[in-house]
Amino acid sequence: MNNQTSRPEIAFVLLLMQATFWMIAGLSAFPFALAGEFFMITLGLLSLVLAGVVLLLALGVVMRNQRARTWAIRLEWLTVVGSLLLVALPIGANHGPVSLMVNIVLPAAVIWLLRGKKMKAAFATA
Amino acid sequence: MFSINPEHAIGLFAGLLAIPIALIALRFHPAWSRATGTVRMASVLMIVTGAVHFALIPHHLNHDPLTSVLFFFNGAAFIGLAAMFTWRWWRLASSALIVMTVFGYLLYVAVGLEGPDQVGLATKLVEVTALGLVLIPVRGEPRRSRRTLRWTSLALAVPMLTVVGGVTLWIADLARPDARHVHAGALLQATATVATPEQWDAANQLYRQTKEAILPYEDWHKAYAAGYRPGGPSNMPSTHWMNAAYVKAGYVMDPQRPQGLVYANTKHGPVLLGAMFQMQHIGQFGPDPGGPITAWHQHENICFGPIGFEFSFMTPYGICPIGSIDISASPMLHVWIVDNPQGGPFAVDIDPAVVKAIDKA
Repeated sequence: MNNQTSRPEIAFVLLLMQATFWMIAGLSAFPFALAGEFFMITLGLLSLVLAGVVLLLALGVVMRNQRARTWAIRLEWLTVVGSLLLVALPIGANHGPVSLMVNIVLPAAVIWLLRGKKMKAAFATA
Repeated sequence: MFSINPEHAIGLFAGLLAIPIALIALRFHPAWSRATGTVRMASVLMIVTGAVHFALIPHHLNHDPLTSVLFFFNGAAFIGLAAMFTWRWWRLASSALIVMTVFGYLLYVAVGLEGPDQVGLATKLVEVTALGLVLIPVRGEPRRSRRTLRWTSLALAVPMLTVVGGVTLWIADLARPDARHVHAGALLQATATVATPEQWDAANQLYRQTKEAILPYEDWHKAYAAGYRPGGPSNMPSTHWMNAAYVKAGYVMDPQRPQGLVYANTKHGPVLLGAMFQMQHIGQFGPDPGGPITAWHQHENICFGPIGFEFSFMTPYGICPIGSIDISASPMLHVWIVDNPQGGPFAVDIDPAVVKAIDKA
């Protein structure tokens, strides 16, 4: 087996997909802004910025940047906790398999891939 | 798009069941211990998608044998390739199979041979993830060939397939909603398709009583005095004015106390369009005296912003723009007191042309 771990590469693929999801969410807000919901422009732009940040984190992770790893884990924790809260609250949020995969399984997988002392060491020595 | 086709649910179970089976079976592969994590995970995901395709064969066999045959070859190819990860052309063959499978599904959905559902979309996400894992170069890989080409392919294919997939499903869902979805996000109450004469009478009575009760609110000052408050921006064609006390009290389809009023925002001020009854709890459809004429509807998968009454639709991937949250609104029934030629007095929506005409009047 290789001495090199490929966990950062797996995390990169997942983060790339997550960035794409945020980009689509950001773009989806703009037609509503055209219809007069001007605050949706702000939310759309924020989503696009977040997509860019996630993409930068993905690049940092694949280049074994320790700071990118730390921030990616923090961001994914925030996503998981927020999504679990939405699932738990009786507000009728979507509980479908795709939503669960994207909002809970994907970020949880990124956390699992990047956490631990071995991964910290792998990023430190790179 | 946000529901699971009951006949496809078996695919979801098969996919989940395939994960442990794949993890155990692939350990017996002689080269498993030498494979990188990306290759291992891609192989597992390819077995998962292969299992989903196999599980869907029986359902399609009766009405669409050609699709069943395609599912068989597709499933077999995925499972076969998952085990052939030491093959020289494995990456090329796997990438080609995944891309063709995703585009095949999108073509099926686009031409209406298949309805977009959660099982199909979840499987496509698994396949796109597998594609990324197949393509991504890894440090310390035994064969360090074509790294630039693989990075380029990854950076193009994964986002492109995700965007094209999402957009195609969204358009197909909006263009061909199923019988219970009037427009994106509005789920209709299940009713009979044709109203009986008694139901017509009951619907007419509800209309008369409601119109009579809310006519005084043509003067919006009276509505304001009664506790109705506008929700959302006034630059939209119409605004719902809600009465918090009536919402909290939970009156059920009481013509004297509708939970909401709908006003057109005209240059002459608010013009009353109709009333809105609303139930207290999500999924609790109200009484339906008029059968299909007075079917309630529930708004689902709406992304509400934190300011005002602004919203957008949740993407097919279950994500809202940051800062907004995905919620459903409890069932509601509109009673339009102005002429609504598009859908009648109990339609989910008021015809925009009607609102425009009122504004110009």
